[in-house]
Amino acid sequence: MNKAGNLSQVMDFVRAARADKAPFEIVAGGTRRTVGKPLADLPLLDISGLSGILKYEPEELILTAAPATPLAEIITVLGEKNQRLGFDPADWSGLLKSNGVATLAGAASSDASGSGKLRHGGPRDSLLGFQAVNGLGESFRGGSKVVKNVTGFDLPKLMCGAYGTLSVLTEMTFRVYPKPQNAAVLCLSDVTPEIGFAALRKIALSALEPAGLAYLPAGMMADAGQGAALIKLEGARQPLEEKIAMAHGLLGGGVQRIESDPFPAIGCGEKFVDLPGDVWRVMIAPSDAPRVAKELNAPHWLGDWAGGVIWLAAAPSQAAHIRKVAAAAKGQAMLLRASTENRALHGLYAAQPPALAALNRAVKAAFDPLSLFNPGRL
Amino acid sequence: MLLPPTDSKIVARRAEIVAALKDIVPDGVVADPSGLATFDSDALSAYHQMPLVCVLPSNREQVSAILKFAQAEGVPIVPRGAGTSLSGGALPREDGILIGMGRMKRIIEIDYENGCVVVEPGVTNLNITKAVEANGFYYAPDPSSQIACTIGGNVAENSGGLHCLKYGLTTNNLLGVTFVLPGGEIVTLGGKSGAQGGLDLLGLVTGSEGLLGVVVEVVVKILRKAPVTRTLLASFDSVPAAGACVAAIIADGVVPAAMEFMDRRAAEAIESYNQPGYPSGAEAILIIDADGVQADVSHAVSRVTDIVAKCGGKTVEATDEKQRARIWSGRKAAFAAMGKLAPDMICMDGTIPRHALPQVLEDMAKLSDQYGLGFCNVFHAGDGNLHPLIIFDTMKEGEFERAEAFGADILRLCVKAGGVLSGEHGIGIEKRDLMTDQFTPEDLAQQGRVKCAFDARGLFNPGKVFPTLSACVEQGHIHVHGAQLPHPHLPRY
Repeated sequence: MNKAGNLSQVMDFVRAARADKAPFEIVAGGTRRTVGKPLADLPLLDISGLSGILKYEPEELILTAAPATPLAEIITVLGEKNQRLGFDPADWSGLLKSNGVATLAGAASSDASGSGKLRHGGPRDSLLGFQAVNGLGESFRGGSKVVKNVTGFDLPKLMCGAYGTLSVLTEMTFRVYPKPQNAAVLCLSDVTPEIGFAALRKIALSALEPAGLAYLPAGMMADAGQGAALIKLEGARQPLEEKIAMAHGLLGGGVQRIESDPFPAIGCGEKFVDLPGDVWRVMIAPSDAPRVAKELNAPHWLGDWAGGVIWLAAAPSQAAHIRKVAAAAKGQAMLLRASTENRALHGLYAAQPPALAALNRAVKAAFDPLSLFNPGRL
Repeated sequence: MLLPPTDSKIVARRAEIVAALKDIVPDGVVADPSGLATFDSDALSAYHQMPLVCVLPSNREQVSAILKFAQAEGVPIVPRGAGTSLSGGALPREDGILIGMGRMKRIIEIDYENGCVVVEPGVTNLNITKAVEANGFYYAPDPSSQIACTIGGNVAENSGGLHCLKYGLTTNNLLGVTFVLPGGEIVTLGGKSGAQGGLDLLGLVTGSEGLLGVVVEVVVKILRKAPVTRTLLASFDSVPAAGACVAAIIADGVVPAAMEFMDRRAAEAIESYNQPGYPSGAEAILIIDADGVQADVSHAVSRVTDIVAKCGGKTVEATDEKQRARIWSGRKAAFAAMGKLAPDMICMDGTIPRHALPQVLEDMAKLSDQYGLGFCNVFHAGDGNLHPLIIFDTMKEGEFERAEAFGADILRLCVKAGGVLSGEHGIGIEKRDLMTDQFTPEDLAQQGRVKCAFDARGLFNPGKVFPTLSACVEQGHIHVHGAQLPHPHLPRY
């Protein structure tokens, strides 16, 4: 285990690896190591020492932190000032049966957005700037530390969802948002997927700025009947009451307010922790959700993001079928939890068309020409 | 500002290049001097250059064929939307093909079920909203040139607007683009699902200023119009008090839909230009929009009113839609109004951390004295995006040069304060040589390698964004002569 606790140690390590042409795996909190194509038994670069909030300016809506800062720490510190991250970071450690600690860089690198993605987008929408070490062993910066910037290429976007294949992050600056004072979850129960997703889309396309829109079929939630459409709304007390009334107006009777908030568990994949089989996230156009859910024909599934993502657990033999259904819907099926064999076989995503695959390789090489970082993972 | 030297060998082959393009787009090649003159600059009109030839494709296959030809022949390409760039992004080259996307202006699909619209790149920003507004929807990014600028150009520049603070820039409102690479290959990045199944290349090409390829189709998100919008006008006795108020509003957790600042000079010029009814005698004015459901807006308005009072300011609210429009019409006419004060002006565009505002304003005033040139401030205060307007008279010996140097110093001030060179206008040629003030050689080399991943021969928009060794330090900015802006009918922020 090689540890790097500051920028110059990361640079030294990368330079040595470069000299030896020796690829390695980057580990921060270590919770997502089993996502994506398995890496051969590579040396590890442990950057868990690169942890801590470096600068937090609530009045600027900006937070700068070291990459391995635990998500929990960030959420707590922001919460003290009634703020939160722009993206809704999902901790998959339970689902992936990991003992590690979910970190900021891990969530951003794996584009792990929970249900709140509806509100302010994914990590790519709030990562303003970063510092990292590229495959040449050089430190560089991308983006900035202000909320509005179009200076040069938007490299922060590339870092999100890259699974550590482009560089070793050493510092990240995020836009943060005020945290609404209150939240309420409404439930429309005993509805078919068609009716449930239609209700969710109605709310998604309203001015209610929902913070969660999920459909849970029978078996995924107690008392759901055929299935339940769940709606999360946020705001100060009075605005929230107004939004609830508006939601009732849009959906008619039958909508009940429930006390619990099932959304954090949905984003973290908790519903699938104890289910057998591989776990997938199939990202599609929301209006295709009822049809795609039917075609996927999985024993256990749910829809989040108003239908924009279908979570499912399925037998490993179903992989080709799932990828086929996703492709036909012009979507992407991401294999989130699977055995090493199945991950090696099917990868994180389906193979891209040749021109796009070549472009992805060229961009990777622009950062990491010797393919030292997490090679082949994405 | 220098562009890379013209390749006379390419210019010598002009007739052959024109003929080849006519084979690809028989009815869409502009080669005569009077026709080409239309395309000799964008809205950074201090710089003019005739293109070698201009081609106007009608579909993606033609775009692909043009790029394949240019690649094979080693001819530079400059993409152009409506030519409203304020940073010279679409300035042509004498040895390059200008590829104008204006003919590809179909709205392909309006998908209310998924809250998105699929368009060709030549559709104007405002026409997207017009296509959906009858059903209560709109496209959020609203650059001030929105009646003319195209969505393809918006993608290339990652355009902003008044309402970025709450709704984000172009990049936050896209689901996908179809993009033609310099070699002519057509790739689809994202789509209605927004998912890409690999690196976020959609995020990379957005704001890449025509350096990586050509956008041929765009999927944008549309939003439901907020049921209620209210507008406040806050006035202050001092600029620092207004700056502190902006910070206090943000810190309070209110996210206004827009928050605009103008100083006394700007407000007075505007008031005498189109009488929007701004309070007289104030040293600084804020225009604040709150939108959302009724109770949300009431909450925001009462919070803002309280905070303004605590900061020593006074608030008045627009009583009806007509008055709201009048207040905003003043702000949108800021450029034209300033044009009445002096024969010429240039507009800068930097972003700073909001807390640095009082210091930066003070330092700008010092620079103004030092250079002996007047200026005024209008800016998107909510996100710290400054648009100082420098006024001068180009007929007076050395004033233009002094104005440019003053402008460059303002941008350096922004970077020094922890900010950036451009909040929304882009780098283009205008700020290219200041890139080294913001980025280290390693930062720039990394961006350069990304450029090479797309365009190994460096044929796409050469001379833009990245400084070249041969370039001089001279800076160019929006240059307005005789109060006439490029595209004078467009409002400008």
